[in-house]
Amino acid sequence: MNKVTESAIVLLIVGAITLIGNWIGYGFGIMEALPGMAVLVGICILGVLANKYIYNLPTVLYVITFGMIITMPGVPGHEMFAGWVAKVNFLALTTPILAYAGVGIGKDLPALKKTGWRIVVVSLFVMTGTYVASAGIAHVVLKFLGEI
Amino acid sequence: MLEAIKNVKVHLLVLALVVGAEFIGILKFDVGPGKLVLLPMLYAVFLGTFLGPKFLKVVNDKDMDNASALVSLTLMLLMARYGTLVGPKFFEILKAGPALILQEFGNIGTLLIGIPIAMFLGLKREAVGAAHSIAREPNVALIGDIYGLDSAEGRGVMGVYICGTVFGTIFFGLAASMLSILNWFHPYALAMASGVGSASMMTATVGSLSAIYPEMADKIQAFGVASNTLSGLDGVYMSMIIALPMSNKLYKILYRIKFGTPQEGK
Repeated sequence: MNKVTESAIVLLIVGAITLIGNWIGYGFGIMEALPGMAVLVGICILGVLANKYIYNLPTVLYVITFGMIITMPGVPGHEMFAGWVAKVNFLALTTPILAYAGVGIGKDLPALKKTGWRIVVVSLFVMTGTYVASAGIAHVVLKFLGEI
Repeated sequence: MLEAIKNVKVHLLVLALVVGAEFIGILKFDVGPGKLVLLPMLYAVFLGTFLGPKFLKVVNDKDMDNASALVSLTLMLLMARYGTLVGPKFFEILKAGPALILQEFGNIGTLLIGIPIAMFLGLKREAVGAAHSIAREPNVALIGDIYGLDSAEGRGVMGVYICGTVFGTIFFGLAASMLSILNWFHPYALAMASGVGSASMMTATVGSLSAIYPEMADKIQAFGVASNTLSGLDGVYMSMIIALPMSNKLYKILYRIKFGTPQEGK
């Protein structure tokens, strides 16, 4: 089996699991959310194909860009697509990812133990760095524009 | 990957974790100006860890390898959904103005502070994953695509992602109130900076700021939402074109300073 077919099978399995979580956690019936999920799986397959046959950019770039284009105002069918995918809760999509990661995490535990507390410290600095630097730039630009 | 697909046990375990996690649902606790938010994804990763050979021994090494191999692909569905969150707002963001766009470069502050600190604490390649960005979903997906999530870089980005998910809203809620006390930055600037690509972090910041400056609340909220949506739009491009290459360069320089030899491997 080639990479594209394999990817498609994985996406279908994860899509099915997500539909069940989406139903239990967020109250969207499986049939109700099916069109949206089909669109999302379709976008991902197109992304994998684009990565393989068009240009070897990260698949995630293609996938985000395709998702954006089909829901952009002015694109034919954008409201229909946006309405469909709205039935697939964003958080419902995160749970299966972290479940797969959780099942696989056991083999990284020794490494995680070694880095664990350091990562917590780093994440505090990462959040501070992002926030203060962005606020500083915004402040200077707003001042320059005379907005404040 | 074929072996991973055929490992039905892994898929069934994931299904069980998802059902259990979604059944518990979202839990929120008020902590100071922020909220401690526990999401189903956290229960899933936590319970999943306990299935491993160190604890319940439900999964073996092969199952763990199979599960890890699938993570970066499962992220793609989330990224497709992410794109559809940005699409409808595309033109509003374009109109949002130069201040909004320029403050996005503040994300570079992340790596300039984060990478040296991470390396000072003794992290190696984990540092690049952990500190190249604020590690929201698109950044995790990008690192997964380039290095794989079971690499050192992957562990770094996942670690910060999970910390951000658990503590992010409390942290940003507190940071906004503390910075407003210091009075270095205008409230509008603080609002714009809150858009880091996470709706919950942005909401916490904008919430604290609106409570402190009720007369400016409307504009604070508008700036927060616009900036957050803009981060959603450019976050992944920014990471790939600017932040990740810069992080790798900085890592190389610091590695040479710290260890006196060029970095091993890639």
